Amino acid sequence: MKKFLAIVLSVLMLVALVACGATTTTETPPVEAETPAPTPAQTPDEDEEDDEPAGGTLTVWCWDPTFNIFAMEEAARIYAEMNPGFELNIVDMAWDDIQIALTTAATAGNLDVLPDIVLMQDNAFQMNVINFPELFLDLTNSGIPFNEFAAAKAGMSMVNGNNFGVPFDNGTTITALRTDVLEEAGYTMEDFENVTWNEFIELGRSVLAQTGMPLLATEAGGGDYIAFMLQSAGVSLFNADGSPNIADNAALIEAINVYLELVESGVVLEVNNWDEYIGSFVNGTVAGTIAGCWILGSVQSADDQAGNWGVMSIPRLDIPGGTNYSNWGGSSWAVTSNANAELAIDFLRHTFAGSTELYEVILPAAGALSTWAPAANSTVYAEPQPFFGGQAVFADIVRFSGNVPAITTGVFFYEARDAVGFAVVDILGGADIEQALQEAQDLLVFQIG
Amino acid sequence: MQMSERAITRKPKLSLAQKRGLTGWAFLAVAAGLIIWMNFYPMVRGFYIALQSGVGANMQFAGDLNFRRLFADPQFRQTISTTFLYLVVQVPIMLLTALALASMLNNRNLKGRGIFRTAIFLPCTVGLVAYALVFRQMFAFDGLINTILINVGILETGHNWLGTAWSARLVIILGLLWRWTGFNMIFYLAGLQNIDRSIYEAARIDGANPFQQFWKITIPLLRPVILLTAIMSTNGTLQLLDESLNLTMGGPGITSRTMAHQIFATAFQGNPNIGYASAMAFVIFVMVAVLALLQMKVGDKR
Repeated sequence: MKKFLAIVLSVLMLVALVACGATTTTETPPVEAETPAPTPAQTPDEDEEDDEPAGGTLTVWCWDPTFNIFAMEEAARIYAEMNPGFELNIVDMAWDDIQIALTTAATAGNLDVLPDIVLMQDNAFQMNVINFPELFLDLTNSGIPFNEFAAAKAGMSMVNGNNFGVPFDNGTTITALRTDVLEEAGYTMEDFENVTWNEFIELGRSVLAQTGMPLLATEAGGGDYIAFMLQSAGVSLFNADGSPNIADNAALIEAINVYLELVESGVVLEVNNWDEYIGSFVNGTVAGTIAGCWILGSVQSADDQAGNWGVMSIPRLDIPGGTNYSNWGGSSWAVTSNANAELAIDFLRHTFAGSTELYEVILPAAGALSTWAPAANSTVYAEPQPFFGGQAVFADIVRFSGNVPAITTGVFFYEARDAVGFAVVDILGGADIEQALQEAQDLLVFQIG
Repeated sequence: MQMSERAITRKPKLSLAQKRGLTGWAFLAVAAGLIIWMNFYPMVRGFYIALQSGVGANMQFAGDLNFRRLFADPQFRQTISTTFLYLVVQVPIMLLTALALASMLNNRNLKGRGIFRTAIFLPCTVGLVAYALVFRQMFAFDGLINTILINVGILETGHNWLGTAWSARLVIILGLLWRWTGFNMIFYLAGLQNIDRSIYEAARIDGANPFQQFWKITIPLLRPVILLTAIMSTNGTLQLLDESLNLTMGGPGITSRTMAHQIFATAFQGNPNIGYASAMAFVIFVMVAVLALLQMKVGDKR
């Protein structure tokens, strides 16, 4: 009965999500206004000629209005110029909800509910393609120039040498800080250059003491912090053979100690959900944030703080192999097997995999750093950004991104991250680090096996 | 009468009783069919899935693997103890409060009874997700509760309600009490109104004080209703999902996560394992059945 309820509830939720999600339809220029627009649910008729699909509607699931949705709207505008009559139906769905919707569709064997294009976290990409091969189109021979993308990034959406995703944004981690607050405490951005975490915490204590503002906020548990700290030292939660590397992982223990110190010193404010986190720096509760560079879209939503932000690379762990560079997040576009494949592929080929113009628009506005090589050479990257006090932040981030150590994440990335997150909660509650990590390792081994 | 007599003469094979029986069964058949289709079939099917292992459409028969796995699963054990904590703390408090409120509001001389009844029942009309989100906002670090407690002088700095295991569980229990007490009170009120007032009158003449009236008359006569609410609350608490999912998101860690939330997470998040999730669901089903049976044995004296 519970199983049945679970399915009914999930289906209801799915329907509700699709129905309630803020639907943004990007209309083509007013010339087309007279033609009756096809309803989003209808799949447009296949065009007779195979090469250039005219008009048509695509549905996309993605999240974050300041970033992914904004980028998709711009892409739709650019594509509609070369393909009049084209419409894009963007459904705003949180990543967690997209994952649940994909799982439900695959488990129920009902692929009709899927949109044409889905945005997927890179860390979940291989997991989903391996678990649900029937859900996604193999794009290897679709004509999309995958060799023009950064190899490491394109590799995140590859399974068995085949491409299943069109790479989108880069998740190089950055420290973004309020220069006006630092000034009040007698510091500049340069003081945060190439620091270790211990030095960073000392600076943070000083800023906190003088201004009353913590430097950072993060979602409680610190799973994300620990994940990017580990990657900055080139360490993974998995060994090369896929077995968990949690217990007796010296870098992990160091990262957890740093995190505990950050919380106990008050330099990091723990919040309980993502909205609180975004609010922490937009409302000025804290003086900055550390996250993937995609956070710049949200940072720039605080107009009143324009000119008062600076961007620096992140602190490093004080261990052999520790660097000031890491990666957090990043996502790629997948085409589902329920898609109007021809149109969806053509759309992606002429926008995210073929339009420098697109990246030149979304880069300064949203911080959407391209992983498509032709766009990375654009002069826009070198332009000083007024919001960041004239710093050419994107040139700096591109420089950071070249130094990020590569690590293996694997299919069980989320389980590993959660297991460590649970251990950190126990440790914050007074448990012994080594014992908590051993339990986390056992849990992960249990979940994999 | 005449009609049915004529009918009998035409079809002498069916007696009147048989005919009535058949009519009854015909009416029952629809409901029974629906219950079999929508309740029993999914139960059997769920058990069948619980015997399988795999991802998505690639499921293979795995025998009792999932059930053996359950006994070794530290997360499932933790969610069971959390859920039973909610059950043991919340259900008695809620039922006693509901009973007390109901007997107070059953007083005919009380002014504004209607307003009080409505006010106490009103939380039940609020959507589960909506109230969970409001509670989450209220108990946020810079939320209403902390602001009040700091301004009144009870706390010096805010308490991270949802970031600490014991207080996150407390917030869930508070939420449940707020949301469901009025619901149970309505059942008790209905039960109380079925008790003949003359019984109380007789008791008063015999010299029984209000306390004795409550224990000797109200409680015994309400027993079937109390049994009903106890079973419903137990059942509801063991299947608690919305509060865990939306209010605390199971956190910190999984310290406030319920069994149903664990099933949801296993079935739909990360690498999904619907077979294992079905096995967990089956275990909850057995638990609910056993507890309901126990309560009926204890509570039903007919």
